[in-house]
Amino acid sequence: MAAIGHGRKPIVERILEPAEAVKKIQGLPQVPIRSQIANEVIGISYGFFSPLEGFMNSADVDSVCKKMRLASGVVWSIPIVFDMSDAEIGKYGITPGKSVVLTYMGNPMALFEVEEIFTYDKKEMAQAIYGTTEDKHPGCARTYKYAEKFIGGKITLVNRPKINEPYGPYFITPLEMRKKFEERGWKRIVAHQTRNVPHTGHEWLMKGAWSQTYAELPIDKPYVGVLVNAIIGEKRKGDYIDEAIILTQDELRKSGYFGDHNHLTSLTFWDMRYAGPKEAVFHSILRTNLGLTHHMFGRDHAGVGTYYGAYDAHNLLATIQDELDITPVYSMNWLYCPHCGEVTSEGLCNHKSEWQKFSGTLIRSIVDDGVKPPRLIFRPEVFDLVMECAEKYGFGSPFVTDEYLEKRTPVFSIEPLKA
Amino acid sequence: MSEGKYPINLWVNEERYAKLQAAGLADMCKEAMAGLKVIYVYANDAQKDKILQVIPQAKFDSATTKSIELIPRKQKDKIFDLVIQKKSIDVLDDFLKTF
Repeated sequence: MAAIGHGRKPIVERILEPAEAVKKIQGLPQVPIRSQIANEVIGISYGFFSPLEGFMNSADVDSVCKKMRLASGVVWSIPIVFDMSDAEIGKYGITPGKSVVLTYMGNPMALFEVEEIFTYDKKEMAQAIYGTTEDKHPGCARTYKYAEKFIGGKITLVNRPKINEPYGPYFITPLEMRKKFEERGWKRIVAHQTRNVPHTGHEWLMKGAWSQTYAELPIDKPYVGVLVNAIIGEKRKGDYIDEAIILTQDELRKSGYFGDHNHLTSLTFWDMRYAGPKEAVFHSILRTNLGLTHHMFGRDHAGVGTYYGAYDAHNLLATIQDELDITPVYSMNWLYCPHCGEVTSEGLCNHKSEWQKFSGTLIRSIVDDGVKPPRLIFRPEVFDLVMECAEKYGFGSPFVTDEYLEKRTPVFSIEPLKA
Repeated sequence: MSEGKYPINLWVNEERYAKLQAAGLADMCKEAMAGLKVIYVYANDAQKDKILQVIPQAKFDSATTKSIELIPRKQKDKIFDLVIQKKSIDVLDDFLKTF
């Protein structure tokens, strides 16, 4: 049976086997790409971005900006574009109707069948997607950095990425993911979107979402799983290092706060746009393609600063719920109540004047001050692993530094293509 | 300006606690987050803005804790030393004079 993804379209991997790939790319111009584009090539090729088959053409971009839909009418919220300067277009001889090879790390990665070269007003794009044109919004800043032209066309992977350690077990493609769910016997799976090392507030968000998702299902066997889907993309100084994020998320399972029967950790390559409600729609699409049935959304999902209201994402999702094959699970914040002596939901506890709210940032400040946080708010196994990752991968720091950016092992590599 | 609205959390590790005890200020610690010791130094609006300006890494956590976070350890040590020196949490004006 075909795996059905977003828009009720089958998930199709756009990947050539090496022998065919070598023949197909012979003699084609080679065009180097940056990490954002490489991440999106993977997203397109493996079906994370289904039904997209390539970088968007002008009709899709315009329709996404104006109607939050592809030109075909399928809901889509963020333009997936390939940008290039006029000078580079000339240099590589890029012309509609001709193909080029996209290279990454100096090696062939994908075949790009160029269909269209076009322009689009970047301010208009920013306003449509982010609801603002302010360049201090990171999504707008990314948009304004795009080169002057966009190129639309189909993508086919010619060289599978080599996922470097310790990320190997966590790169699970949409087709493989469905097999994992089947093996576990899960009928419903709820997504936990993250870019963080988990504190117990996150842990309880997942546990609460698991419970909400379980609902009326029988309890004779484990029928519901939580999929942690970590977004791996561009890093900024001060973020947790990727190795710490992915390994500590999985540590919650390994240390028994969850188990194999209800928890799985994975990653998706994507450079966050911080588009708030539009990003929430995009995350719904992504996780539908991964085969999930439910998606957890907290307050101000994927927002930044004060650009979006706490429930803007929920409200936007409600307008298109009939067209999404994933059910939103809305979560309230979890906090520490000294009166209850436990982490509890703000929707449950009424000792409001005693609440102690905590966030990843607050826990970071505790760690920065040389204090080990108590197990009720940060699991000791997670803390120890963060410190281990700092030594093993972070050049002494669990947070991204200039040295980490310069010397880290990339999450994936593109190696020379061999038939 | 201890009546300010925005706390800076000085989490009290063993070294800081020893200093507080030696200065007879151990009572200044509050308990937070299931057993952690902390000293809250409050900033008013002007001090908060100034801190965010002179310490670019610092962040005001507007979403959850409403506190000023990510002040580097070195700067927090300075604030802590001023607390010990002045035996008061009203130290941010003095701290900001060092910039």
